[in-house]
Amino acid sequence: MPSDPMVQIEGLNVSLGGRPRVRDFSLTVKRGSFHGLLGPNGAGKTTLLRVLYRARAADAGLVRIAGTPINDWARPDWTRTVGALVQEGGSLQGLTIRDVVEIGLMNLPLSPEDRTARMDEALHLTGLHDMADSEAALLSGGERQRTHIAQILARDPALHILDEPANHLDLCYQILLLDAIRARGSTVIATFHDLTLAARYCDTVTVMHEGRHVATGRPDEVLTRKIMREVFRVDGALEDGVMRITGALR
Amino acid sequence: MRRPTFITTLVLALAILAGVFFGTAEASWSDRWAALMRTADAPRSLSLILWEWRLPRVLAVATVGASLALAGVMMQTVLHNPLADPYLMGLSSGASAAAVGAILWLPPWVAATMGVPLIAFLGALLAFSLTLGLSFRRGAIMAPLVVILAGVAVSLMFQSLTAFFLYVGDPRATRSALGWLMGTAAGTGWRDLWLPVAALAIVTLFAGVRAQTLDALLLGDERAMALGVPVRRFRLIVFGAVALLAGLSVATVGIVGFVGLIVPHMARLLAGGRHRALIPLALVLGALVLVVVDLLCRVVLAPEEMPLGVLLAIFAAPPFILILRRVRHAF
Repeated sequence: MPSDPMVQIEGLNVSLGGRPRVRDFSLTVKRGSFHGLLGPNGAGKTTLLRVLYRARAADAGLVRIAGTPINDWARPDWTRTVGALVQEGGSLQGLTIRDVVEIGLMNLPLSPEDRTARMDEALHLTGLHDMADSEAALLSGGERQRTHIAQILARDPALHILDEPANHLDLCYQILLLDAIRARGSTVIATFHDLTLAARYCDTVTVMHEGRHVATGRPDEVLTRKIMREVFRVDGALEDGVMRITGALR
Repeated sequence: MRRPTFITTLVLALAILAGVFFGTAEASWSDRWAALMRTADAPRSLSLILWEWRLPRVLAVATVGASLALAGVMMQTVLHNPLADPYLMGLSSGASAAAVGAILWLPPWVAATMGVPLIAFLGALLAFSLTLGLSFRRGAIMAPLVVILAGVAVSLMFQSLTAFFLYVGDPRATRSALGWLMGTAAGTGWRDLWLPVAALAIVTLFAGVRAQTLDALLLGDERAMALGVPVRRFRLIVFGAVALLAGLSVATVGIVGFVGLIVPHMARLLAGGRHRALIPLALVLGALVLVVVDLLCRVVLAPEEMPLGVLLAIFAAPPFILILRRVRHAF
């Protein structure tokens, strides 16, 4: 495995509708590590991820994936390397669960057997195999989320960019699917609102507040009582891998 | 070829034959067959009707039906909107205003020289350019909602202009303008065919090659971008393709509504949402619907002819209600 970082962000600035969302942000994520982006609403986590999966251009700064600036990636290489789970939902008109998973394999040089094997494995892992031919537009929020996670699992990219992967999932699937993603050993950069879940899976985390970088390190180093008060506005801290909250601050 | 597409293609072939065989001219079956086969004993007048009048007309409506259905599929996909149709960007309103204005207000030699179809096509392109201009913002991805709202605004503007032209125009000339507005394939000849057929062939090839990209857009703009799709550029190309198909369709047979809205839904119910299977079926189904409705237009009130748009609207309502019942829980 090459030793250079998987993600390098330097001096990133992004604004939306004239309002700065990410300000002078820098971060390095090692290959193979599971990195969490944490922060309250409006901290700039999703905007940062949108820059990473090239849905939004930055106003200033540099982003490198595996050493190459993101805009210099050729499309086929990009598709093979980067996979993103995003919050936005499309119409999914006329598609089945299997279709959604298969669409994620576009541009990947796979034999028909490999394609089928990858899809079957992903559908089994997400518990969707028996309903793979159901209409995707009619699924519940949790089933839709599992479908999109199945797509990522089938793609198996070197870099997983996951925006709120635990959204809509019941507890069992939160653990099952994050375990499955972690077991791949790929680099993951993911946002979380559930800090206990973040502490369980992340090797390192970054806390953001109002678009700025606040702290980066191991979850137990970063999620201190001070940061919980100043950034998350709650009284609490991470103790033995569990976030203990005693109350919210006004 | 998948089963629904195969069956629909067979039915389309029969419908085209029926479109050529049936009409207001009285003739025996043996004469009709002889005229179609161009045998030596075929009545000359019937050969002329079949080969110079009915066949190009039937092929023209088939081409227009296929074009509008393909354009509708692509618009619904790239705009993530089940109510999107090929005319959404003001194409029909622009064409109507230009055609009605030319029929009622311009000196007759202008329409005679340029032809109403070309004037309508230019009107459609003008409306399309206005919609595109209103939707365009540097660096943004042309959000579907912005395009739809811009299209509605441009449509309203040109509809008002059409209404104004009709209101103040010469009452004797308005009948001809209204006839054009309601769509008719009467008088379509071989010379009118090659351009719509060429455009349909090119756009079908493009859509076929880009079927996976269209599939990815069904997941939403952001998910498509995450899969490496250049959403903004692709959407612009699709808008251009739709403008070409719909503009040429309007120029060929006038305004024909519903095909571009309903047929994509019918095809999706039969073939699913994947464009590799959806596009061939939508093409054949669009052609079939318009060939059948055009035939009915000729025979229902024979020897008078009904406007294509009127009969289509009558036939389109029941399937639309059925489709609505089927899909309403999905949106």
